[in-house]
Amino acid sequence: MASIDVVGLRKRARFAYELGRLRLSILGVVPVLLVVLAAASVANRPASTLAFGAATILAGGALLWYGREPRKAVFPGIAAGLVPLVLSLCAGRVHTCGVNGCGTLCVPACALGGVVAGLAVARVAARRGLGLWFFIPASALCLLTGAMGCACLGYSGVVGLVVGFGAGLVPGLVRRAVG
Amino acid sequence: MTASRHELDVLMARLAAGDRAVFGRVFDLLFPSVQRLCLGLLKNEADAADALQDAMQKIFERASQYDPERPAMPWALAIAAWECRTHARRRMRRREVSEEAGFEPPVTFDPEEGHVRRDLVEAALAALGELSETDRETLVATYWEEAAPVSGATLRKRRERALARLRGAFRRLYGLD
Repeated sequence: MASIDVVGLRKRARFAYELGRLRLSILGVVPVLLVVLAAASVANRPASTLAFGAATILAGGALLWYGREPRKAVFPGIAAGLVPLVLSLCAGRVHTCGVNGCGTLCVPACALGGVVAGLAVARVAARRGLGLWFFIPASALCLLTGAMGCACLGYSGVVGLVVGFGAGLVPGLVRRAVG
Repeated sequence: MTASRHELDVLMARLAAGDRAVFGRVFDLLFPSVQRLCLGLLKNEADAADALQDAMQKIFERASQYDPERPAMPWALAIAAWECRTHARRRMRRREVSEEAGFEPPVTFDPEEGHVRRDLVEAALAALGELSETDRETLVATYWEEAAPVSGATLRKRRERALARLRGAFRRLYGLD
């Protein structure tokens, strides 16, 4: 066989592997892009929705590209985050949120959505027997997705989401710790 | 042989999941088999070397899409066979151009026999390209003695069906068996 630079070929194959992963991760975040655009079109504050949406896409893409256990967190994390996102967007539609306060509906909607999302993430982790490398990225993606809608009331909506999410995680974590 | 096949299946699944630590071992396990296949199909060292390089890059580019339920070697060899087909087609086009220009490449053995053999290989590769990925995997596994995705009666049935479809493709392309 004609001489082949095996070391060079190995490098090119490795580059091709990373390129293939990158391509797949870009394809994987296309649905998230659609969610971000849809959320921005109905949100009261499209700028913050787009900012959190961009962060969600970048984080999701990076996790899909990286692979291993964190990759398994992408779909459950974003799916769980859709609950507070939808609830907060609906709350925003029902009445007009503004800087002077709309805590009566927006913040409770975000907190409630956060609780449901936290429960969902803890349940998926328990069912699949996944550890910290699932919990951290899934929680981050869930909060980023939810924050796209919960930023409707400055950052108090986001705080409500985080508190609710933490509360939702507690039963799952306690069950895990107990056995 | 079987142990290394099993090892390859496991490592390929890990590579597909993003475990870069196994990249080198997967490369080392695939390289000799892909090299043998390219040489066997193209019967020309320079073309085989080119096809081998493209095939290895394609295999790793698609490594993340590998389905861990399927055996890795036939999957990889099916991609390599497809690359060989692409190279054979390219070579055929090159030859047509050079013949049109009145250029005859230098040959070191019976030119008639060489032409016939090359044409047959190219025709077979073109017909192989008409088949589904599963059929290609089955035939590649059968004729290059690589691990088949299935075994026993299922393999025989699948091989018969793949061969029938290959014959059909050959007939459609060239009007003969």
